[in-house]
Amino acid sequence: MASNAIKSGALVPLPELQPSSEFFKEGASLRVTGKLQEYSVETAIAVIADQGATLKVDTQHLRELSFRIGSIFQFIGELNILPNNEAILQARTGRNVDGIDLDLYYQSLQQLRQFQAKHMKNATT
Amino acid sequence: MDQQPPSLLHIHVKLLGFSLHSITPWPNNPSIFYLNGKRISRIEILGVVTSRDYRPNKFLRFTLDDGTHSITCILWLNHLTSPFFASRQPATLRVISDLAKCFADDIQFGKVARVRGRVSSYRGDLQVTVSDVVIERDPDAETLHRLDCISLGRRCYFG
Repeated sequence: MASNAIKSGALVPLPELQPSSEFFKEGASLRVTGKLQEYSVETAIAVIADQGATLKVDTQHLRELSFRIGSIFQFIGELNILPNNEAILQARTGRNVDGIDLDLYYQSLQQLRQFQAKHMKNATT
Repeated sequence: MDQQPPSLLHIHVKLLGFSLHSITPWPNNPSIFYLNGKRISRIEILGVVTSRDYRPNKFLRFTLDDGTHSITCILWLNHLTSPFFASRQPATLRVISDLAKCFADDIQFGKVARVRGRVSSYRGDLQVTVSDVVIERDPDAETLHRLDCISLGRRCYFG
């Protein structure tokens, strides 16, 4: 399949989104999940948190999404790296995922990475 | 006597988006494809709707993002006008057309959709010609689909 104009958001847990991470790149398309810690109506900037890590999310382009402190949200968007090495995700989609089993979610990501690694290896041999 | 493995040709093979890279066309029939040496024609995918191009009474083209790949899907909406469907009974066509319009209304930006359909090729790119849509509201639906695809991939499709 040829590359799609709409980039897929790579599934990245917030604790992995550190400056040393391969996902910490300007313009990287990511999908992140976390509990809403703060939200500013004026700036439309949300702060989500998970396992001690936090991330700012610019939600100005999102519609029909109610932001409730304490709820778990999932966003797909592109990473913008600011001059002070702080990252902010420019979200293009977002949804409330209250009730999600985060333990199972992270286990599935581990399984996915193992599966993809083996699949890619087999494809090249 | 060795038993033949079950055929995947007439079932909806559950796949993650990145596995579509493993699908190759079968030269003898444009509606049949190969997945790791096995013939398939239909797949089931699940992801977030990340683009939507709606042409009334013609088609809805949209993309599903499942975290591994963006998959292009095409839902035809021209059942009542296209000569392709001319041989069908008008009453049946109307039911199919109404159902397709319902699916088109359900496919909205940001929603999580489970899509079943035929693998097809358009200008060299693989896409899914949609036959069925379910909007998933369970926040664990994607996780469970991901695990299903991995399990089936290991035990059946790529095993």
